[in-house]
Amino acid sequence: MSTEFDAIVVGSGITGGWAAKELTEKGLKVLMVERGRMIEHGSGYVTETLAPWEMPFRGEGDAALYARDFAVQSKNRHFTEFTQNHFVNDRDNPYSVAEGTEFNWWRGYQLGGRSLTWGRQSYRMSDYDFGANKKDGHGSDWPIRYADLAPWYDHVERFIGVSGQAEGVASLPDGVYQPPMALNVLERYAKGIIEQRWPDRRLTIGRTANLTQEKEGRSACQYRSICARGCSYGAYFSTQSSTLPAAQRTGNLTLITDTVVERVDYDARTRRATGVSVLNVKTGERRRHTARIVFLNAGAFNTNHLLLRSGSDAFPTGLGNSSGLLGTHIMDHATTVGAVALFDRFQDRTTYGNRPTGVVIPRFRNLDRQEGDFLRGYSFQGGALRSTWTRAKREAGVGADFKAAMRGPGGWRMVLVSFAESLPRPTNRLTLDLSKTDAVGAPLLKIDFSHGENERKALADAGREASAMLTAAGGKVVLSLDRPGAGGSAIHEMGGAMMGDNPRTSVTNRWNQLHDVPNVFVSDGAAMASSACQNPSLTYMALTARACDAAVRLLREAKI
Amino acid sequence: MDNRTRDAGGAGRRQFLMAMAAAGAALTPVALWAQVRTGADAPAAKALAPSQQALLDRVADLTIPDSDTPGALAVGVPAFVALALAHGLEGAGAPVPAARFTGGAAPEGATVLDWLTFELDLKTGGAFLAAAPAAQAQALAALDGAAYAPGGPPGGDASPWRVLKGLIVTGYYTSEAGASQELQYELVPGHWDPDVPVGPHARAWSNDWTAVDFG
Repeated sequence: MSTEFDAIVVGSGITGGWAAKELTEKGLKVLMVERGRMIEHGSGYVTETLAPWEMPFRGEGDAALYARDFAVQSKNRHFTEFTQNHFVNDRDNPYSVAEGTEFNWWRGYQLGGRSLTWGRQSYRMSDYDFGANKKDGHGSDWPIRYADLAPWYDHVERFIGVSGQAEGVASLPDGVYQPPMALNVLERYAKGIIEQRWPDRRLTIGRTANLTQEKEGRSACQYRSICARGCSYGAYFSTQSSTLPAAQRTGNLTLITDTVVERVDYDARTRRATGVSVLNVKTGERRRHTARIVFLNAGAFNTNHLLLRSGSDAFPTGLGNSSGLLGTHIMDHATTVGAVALFDRFQDRTTYGNRPTGVVIPRFRNLDRQEGDFLRGYSFQGGALRSTWTRAKREAGVGADFKAAMRGPGGWRMVLVSFAESLPRPTNRLTLDLSKTDAVGAPLLKIDFSHGENERKALADAGREASAMLTAAGGKVVLSLDRPGAGGSAIHEMGGAMMGDNPRTSVTNRWNQLHDVPNVFVSDGAAMASSACQNPSLTYMALTARACDAAVRLLREAKI
Repeated sequence: MDNRTRDAGGAGRRQFLMAMAAAGAALTPVALWAQVRTGADAPAAKALAPSQQALLDRVADLTIPDSDTPGALAVGVPAFVALALAHGLEGAGAPVPAARFTGGAAPEGATVLDWLTFELDLKTGGAFLAAAPAAQAQALAALDGAAYAPGGPPGGDASPWRVLKGLIVTGYYTSEAGASQELQYELVPGHWDPDVPVGPHARAWSNDWTAVDFG
């Protein structure tokens, strides 16, 4: 059967860009469909070089507007007046949450998706993670192990450029790194104390997709740390800086923006997807595109939403849902402030430049022996800094002396933020809210998610340990929290189409194909079978590259 | 209501407050607040009344005065504060509850500027704007001291002054002079140095965004 394209990629974010690059480089004619607007690399980053005094609300933004149109998005730390155009309007893009629950669903509907605003932390999962479901029985056993993904992690890191330090820590496997950004003077000191007192712990610089060396037309980082505005230097990985130009160079890519995929079209006779039905949100035009394979990279929850909305007589509860598990076992990370401490040391030292990464203390709990009253583990991210002018809001004083006292750098403080693994639970799930529809008549996605007792126990342990480490390093702890924020707060929402070998207990197989519809690949966060406790985007990218390789092989073998 | 009427109202408020101060500030009857408020602000109008504008100018100037760099008044902080109040930045849009007022009474929907006017007038014997500069500075310092006192002020929530001072501080250090003369601003540092000495005349970085968020 002739098709308009070889492949359709739904979404242009972190994994959509990767699917487009890999498939076009392997010779496929690819259509990439983005629901949001075009943002050109460089010229599209309209606030990139502006100073606070050039912004109407000095960078803080219009609180009245945010309350009305960005009630959820504005709670994101990276949401500012400079970056608000990289986040969705909540009023125009509603979703439901189950009664009594809260979920911060932070999204960016534009070319590049959240690759423009992501935190850039790039970590591998280890066999502690890939083996976790099998070991303790939560969720579906991963159909792959570290060895399956390791070469694809290499492949991705080489292309996107990750700066970091190899450490030989079993829970956080080393990768292919550009030179690391340096720890600052207090972080280096704290590292020495912590590693001496706790030999099984390691404090290392955050492994970040910010370049420390020029790479293929992309500049090294300029240490501005305003990444989420967009970076015309191309110094961090985004679709625009990296995968899109690579895909476009092949001449095999067709990109359309402002176009929502409303359903994946399915032919019950061939048991294959035939393509997608789309709506141009600017013109209102609806049409179909056909292809031999479809990659779903819409962002974990939107990929679930699309599958749930693509039901048919063959699949009445959603495409590929013969298991009944589609939408279940969704996860995030449970996160809170482990500890903040003030330090008297190094008052005569400071830093120059804005380093766009912090430090990480990889998971050390429950690795080869069970230590706490909770399963799996947590890790810390944070860093040390000297306060600046915002301290003037909380310090007493007015007048000339106050002004003079606020002129110099403020005291040192160090922060450790806890990220605990989210257990995969069948009760945490996505469904369609058939009682409410969006502007184009589609039923809303309903999110029913709660952190559990395991996550609360892990965060309690993390708070104690963060406080102990910062105290040992000479700090005075002024804040330590152990209750997780609302679901979604780690911006690591994932799962719903979990991978597994058994079609009755999982939704996607070891190559990210829907068990039920083998020419549909789900390679964004939806396919995750467990969450680990590290930032997941690098794993999504590696899974996508691996799935693309498999897809092309299967096409050539005429198996799909 | 035109500006002249508002000023007349402002004078009425001063008379009222002077009388109250003379009486030891024992009471702030809600009925009399109506009179005070006639000069404050028409609900529909976002522009500040001249008396409130004058108060904001003076308080901004007292909080961050001119030195070898311009102060808050010189760089236009009052205009930012007025905008911030109108749009509710940093929680500034919320009405101030009566319990926050000395004496425990206030009209419905009293704003932070109503509160500031009331408290500063009270501390200066009835007319803050007419008081001698030293008395004004003393009154504001007393207000600030109470707002930041350990254990916090009575009433639980932070003093409304913390909200206003926060806006003054934000307005100042995000102004061009505040950010780049009083402090340092460098859009493109170009490199990272993890350990440099702090000189005797060191200035903090206004664009250390991580420190702005977490410092």
